[in-house]
Amino acid sequence: MTAVATREALAARADEGPPMRAKAKAGPVEWILVHLVFVVISAFFLVPFLWLLSAAFDAKANAYVGIPTHPTLDNFVKIFADYDFGRVLANSLFVAIATMILVVFTVALAGYSLSRIELRRKDWITYAVLLLQTMPISATMVPIYGLARQLGLRNSYLGLILIHAAIELPFLIWLMKGFFDSIPRHLEEAAWLDGRSRFRALVEIVLPLARPGLGIAAGLAFLSAWAEVLMVVILIDQDNLKTVPLAFYQAMRTQGGYTEVQYGVIAAMAIIYLLPVMLVFFTARRLMVSGLMNSTRGL
Amino acid sequence: MADVEFDQVWKRFGPQESAAVHGLSLNVRDRELLVLLGPSGCGKTTALRMLAGLEEPDDGDIRIGGKSVVGLEPKDRDVALVFQSYALYPHLSARDNIGYPLKVQKLSKADQADRIERVAEMLAIGHLLPRRPAQLSGGEQQRVALARAIVREPRVFLMDEPLSNLDAKLRVHTRTELKALQRELGTTMIFVTHDQAEAMSLANRIAVLNAGELQQIGTPDEVYDHPANVFVAEFIGSPPMNLMSATTTGDTAVTDGGWRLPVPSGSAVDHPETVVGLRPEGIEIVADDHPGATRAEVITVEPFGSEVIVDVRLGDDSIKIRTAPEIRPAPGSQVALSVKPSAVRLFDRASGAAL
Repeated sequence: MTAVATREALAARADEGPPMRAKAKAGPVEWILVHLVFVVISAFFLVPFLWLLSAAFDAKANAYVGIPTHPTLDNFVKIFADYDFGRVLANSLFVAIATMILVVFTVALAGYSLSRIELRRKDWITYAVLLLQTMPISATMVPIYGLARQLGLRNSYLGLILIHAAIELPFLIWLMKGFFDSIPRHLEEAAWLDGRSRFRALVEIVLPLARPGLGIAAGLAFLSAWAEVLMVVILIDQDNLKTVPLAFYQAMRTQGGYTEVQYGVIAAMAIIYLLPVMLVFFTARRLMVSGLMNSTRGL
Repeated sequence: MADVEFDQVWKRFGPQESAAVHGLSLNVRDRELLVLLGPSGCGKTTALRMLAGLEEPDDGDIRIGGKSVVGLEPKDRDVALVFQSYALYPHLSARDNIGYPLKVQKLSKADQADRIERVAEMLAIGHLLPRRPAQLSGGEQQRVALARAIVREPRVFLMDEPLSNLDAKLRVHTRTELKALQRELGTTMIFVTHDQAEAMSLANRIAVLNAGELQQIGTPDEVYDHPANVFVAEFIGSPPMNLMSATTTGDTAVTDGGWRLPVPSGSAVDHPETVVGLRPEGIEIVADDHPGATRAEVITVEPFGSEVIVDVRLGDDSIKIRTAPEIRPAPGSQVALSVKPSAVRLFDRASGAAL
């Protein structure tokens, strides 16, 4: 009986298709072609970075990539001395970190609610959240400006943080919903029976298990708030509230009444601007990769 | 006192679906080990979850120790549930898993450690305490889950198929231990399973459920010897009770296969349309000249060491007989069968109820 069943199972499997063909070995021409393509693509993406590096350390930087003709650290000195870049960086960090905290807190609760709590028309709410994500942000620029003016949120970090968070929330709420869906309900039920309230069980049992998801949400929220330009431009024009994108802008246009692009200064700013991004990526890359894999499993 | 009472409890999950629990009324006595037994989807787990507070009944009342618990949060019911999946907190060590309910109760660190040690010793898992659940085998996880339930000293233990993820040998071993443990602790326990052998070996009483309805409640012997209906007769026992359509007149039932069987005295006689039930051990293979014996053809013989199951055919009925290991009739041969009147059970053919 068992032998027959096994044989049938084998036969069924054999019918599914031919066994996988052994991987063909690449010939030398193929090898060269493939690598050539990789090199071209890599170069395409790397050139801007090479330019940044060369320009930042060149006293006579221009728009072309090359070995610095007048090697110097002056550009870095200048951005802190003349452009108050220390304060600008601190402002950007504050906005990005505050956005990150707000986003993590919100997606934890919203994602959990959409995953677990019985609501009427929950699927509609869930899709409405996704619909928000599809709105092009530039289309909302004017109404957001008007709204911010009326609410007194222009030249206010509160306004900037709220908008930055709002931009990221729909996608990250979906991401977290997927995470919570993949955490077995029995775990929190066990915590309820052990005597915990719903909220405490969420904090002590569910959230620690959702840590990879919260890590991704934090990383993405930070990076997006850090890199966002449009809303900064329309909401902030006070000098002391300036964040990094505005400092770039300034270095590009106003030098002695006529437009002169300070290539060296911009490159120096850009290199420092890149550092936190690299830092976030390299510290969290494992977490983010495992988290993203998890989230697709949960969807 | 922690007796548990289901009083006309109903639960329906969707407007289109039939009720998962169908007017369930059930009394579980203090210190009793009651097994809820039934096939999957019979509502036994739903009943358990309603008692735990993880589902709310649509109608009816559930009482623990005489007080209604309907509407109470799970945390306020003082019941412990061991899940089929064990539901150990993956990010906590075994020690912290077991200690979690104590932490919730805000016991002092010393008291917590004390009680964890005591339970760990009782279940022989002291050496596992520093490990995370992922580092434990299925059997070890099961023990940790059990420890987490015991350490709280709850009013009622609820077990949702806690043995079904263990391999066969460990399952039998653990159920023996569990029974001893429940007696030692003296705590009311409700144990859900679809495995009738598990139910028979564990229970003080078994409640058999089917399609959300209680079929019978009684001691293992009662449900085995006097099944309330055809469903219970077929569900309990391995191999199950032999059931044959029969026509009953007076004190004799004649099966469709032509077997004349004596009906136990006191059974209804004016009920011609019946089903006759015979346990495999209620039928004897006898000498050919035995008075009242009937002859049947042997189809297969299955030796199990301590017993032999002989499958015979009589008309259209296939009948299983449990015999001593030395009785091995050859397949294809004819044997004579005899039955004691006390072994015969009668059921109404239309309703399936015992007569």
